[in-house]
Amino acid sequence: MLKPEKMVKISVVGPKERLEYASEILHKVNLLHIEDPKEAEHFRIGEPLEKASIISRTLVQLRSYISYLKIDPGRIAPKRKYRSKEIEEMLSRKLEEYQEQIGTKIEENRSIDEKIRSLEDELRIIEPLKVLGIPSRLLKGYKNLRCFVGFVKENPVDELSKITDKFDAVIKEYEKELLVAIFVKAEYGDEFFRTLQAYGYRELPVPDIEDYDARINEIEREKEELLNRKKQLETEIEEIKVKEADLLLAIEEYLSTELDKSELPLRALVSKYTFVIVGYVPAKQLDRFKSEVEKGGKIVVEVIEEEEEGVPPTKLSNPAVIRDYELLTTTYATPKYKEIDPTAIMAIFFTIFFGMMLGDMGYGLLITILALYLKKIFRTEGWQKLLNIAVYCGISSIIFGFIYGEFFGPFIIPGMEEPSKVHFLGDALSALYTFNHHHPLFDRVEEFGVKALLFIVLLIGMIKMLWGFALGFYNVYVEHGMKEAIYEKGCWFIGVLGLVMLIFGFSYNLGIFTSPPEEGFGKLLPDNLYILGSYTVEEGRAVPLPIPGLVDGWQAGVNIFYLLALPLLIVWFVIFLKAEIPKMGIFGIIMAVELLTWFGQIISYARLLAIGLSSVYIAFVINYLSIKIGTPPGMALLPVAVILLIIGHAGNLLLGILDPGLQSLRLHYVEFFTKFFEGGGKEYSPFGRVKKFLED
Amino acid sequence: MVDALISDEAFIKGCAAVGAGLAVGLAGIGAGAGESGIGAAAVGAIAEDRGFLGLGLLFTVIPETIVIFGLVISFILMFAYG
Repeated sequence: MLKPEKMVKISVVGPKERLEYASEILHKVNLLHIEDPKEAEHFRIGEPLEKASIISRTLVQLRSYISYLKIDPGRIAPKRKYRSKEIEEMLSRKLEEYQEQIGTKIEENRSIDEKIRSLEDELRIIEPLKVLGIPSRLLKGYKNLRCFVGFVKENPVDELSKITDKFDAVIKEYEKELLVAIFVKAEYGDEFFRTLQAYGYRELPVPDIEDYDARINEIEREKEELLNRKKQLETEIEEIKVKEADLLLAIEEYLSTELDKSELPLRALVSKYTFVIVGYVPAKQLDRFKSEVEKGGKIVVEVIEEEEEGVPPTKLSNPAVIRDYELLTTTYATPKYKEIDPTAIMAIFFTIFFGMMLGDMGYGLLITILALYLKKIFRTEGWQKLLNIAVYCGISSIIFGFIYGEFFGPFIIPGMEEPSKVHFLGDALSALYTFNHHHPLFDRVEEFGVKALLFIVLLIGMIKMLWGFALGFYNVYVEHGMKEAIYEKGCWFIGVLGLVMLIFGFSYNLGIFTSPPEEGFGKLLPDNLYILGSYTVEEGRAVPLPIPGLVDGWQAGVNIFYLLALPLLIVWFVIFLKAEIPKMGIFGIIMAVELLTWFGQIISYARLLAIGLSSVYIAFVINYLSIKIGTPPGMALLPVAVILLIIGHAGNLLLGILDPGLQSLRLHYVEFFTKFFEGGGKEYSPFGRVKKFLED
Repeated sequence: MVDALISDEAFIKGCAAVGAGLAVGLAGIGAGAGESGIGAAAVGAIAEDRGFLGLGLLFTVIPETIVIFGLVISFILMFAYG
């Protein structure tokens, strides 16, 4: 579970003429992760089988149909699956049919679009001319006159009359521009043209049309006919889509499979008479793989003894529930083959953290129901995994909600005694906890609850920090040996352990392990764990941080945890210096500050408390306000109260999904994974294909 | 001056409350300033490639640790003097 599946490097060898058969059988077993080959003396990379080019051409055409019909394979659950044999038989017939049915329709549709466009262009010319009101035969075909018809930005008449006053102009406004028709003697033509250009003149090509209105009507009619035809085509195409989608996708799958097979030689090494394919197979499946592949004869599967340089692909192997969380791990990185796969750890803690932060029965219930509903709609694998995680997180929230006593907000708030005043279901909730004197099992709204939870989450932080370094130690040890492991990770493990001891010493002096609630967790440890003389916690409390010279009477604060911290920190510092000084020189000492980063990261786990508290108080405010608004004397505002309640909780739920999810993820990615997880593995992708639209 | 108006204890309590508020508020401003740059860059990246959404959101919340520090400080202040 914590390690990727074990792989065996193998070679598949056979005579060259059996390569096509090999491609069939390897594709069928779908187990071999092929390693890209390197050419050697007598071995060259093979050439694709002859049929490859025909297949790929057909495939391109077919895919263009599929994309034209807007068929999304991810959303279609096939009603009927086809056998490969069936497809093989009807392939050429069907392709012709599609060419006829879909291909011609695509063509026709395209030509209709073109015609419509040209009609619209014509309309754009005729309509202004109609506004101008001059028949087209009067606008062109003169010998001694020059005629300008077009658009200008401003009225050019004043400027034109400076050249000559012997001209005639008709000017009309048209869509924020001026439409002009100017008639002038041909000798002034060029000069007029230049002036008009200064006014942003755009010429309008005048067509040979007698009656503008008749032509406009004609165009409108033609356009409507074309649009009707287009609509008809669309319904026809829609019919084909409904009828043929399964088969189209099945053929696509069949052809893709064939293409994969015929391109196998590109991933094999071929000599004059033989071929070799090198790759990895999961160790568990080796026997099955060998017997399947060798069954047909003349092909041999040979296990290659692992050399140093081989980098096997990573196939994560986790039990069913945990497999959903692989999505979250691989978003960060794919583990290397030899690395620890943190998915299982993440699965457990991600869910717990989410519940710990949100911790509300009502919100948890909503998330669970919502996720179960969405699972029916979004059927792709990624969504299914994500929604499964949402279901687990929802359940975790319900459990923590029960512990915290929250159902759309808390029902006990310190200083406000009556549950019915702070929660719309206050009395019912209070009755639910009758077995516990009407109190939740753990109240995180009250002061002791906050203190206790703060300490608990920091404790989780310390444990996970140490755990991370321990896993890192193992990873480095496997890859680079003991010495590196101690220098790189062991050193920090000891350092952080020292830090943890300091935190414990501090907490002990505050009385967290000895005092009754409100001050601490009760009497977990003896009262007098002091080294320098016989003191008690009461005296130690005066000097929580016993630094000699800084505080008077520091001896009173030196407890056993501080004593343990000292050698740990010394050992850490010595190993640290041994590791860093050769690499970084004397300035490497500065890097010791990094220990403070780890301290910061432990504190960072306080978000497990903080995020939750913020959503608790938002929920409380929403409940409190709506009860105030909705109950007498403001009874008239009951609808407002209900709306406030619904919108408020919906918003809080949205924040409650997003924030705990992200923060929980972040606590893993930033605070946990960085200690041990490098990633950069190759994902295991075997030669073959999981059939979706085809049958075996 | 202050002695005449309010007791020492009340003054300390008040200062602690103001300090706690400042700790969270100022830390929030700092985190917001940090997130603004990252958020803008993340949105840009997501516009290029939808697949970056998860990672982008994650990067955006990284500076939030600062607020948590502020919050822890305010908790400590409130526990000690509140």
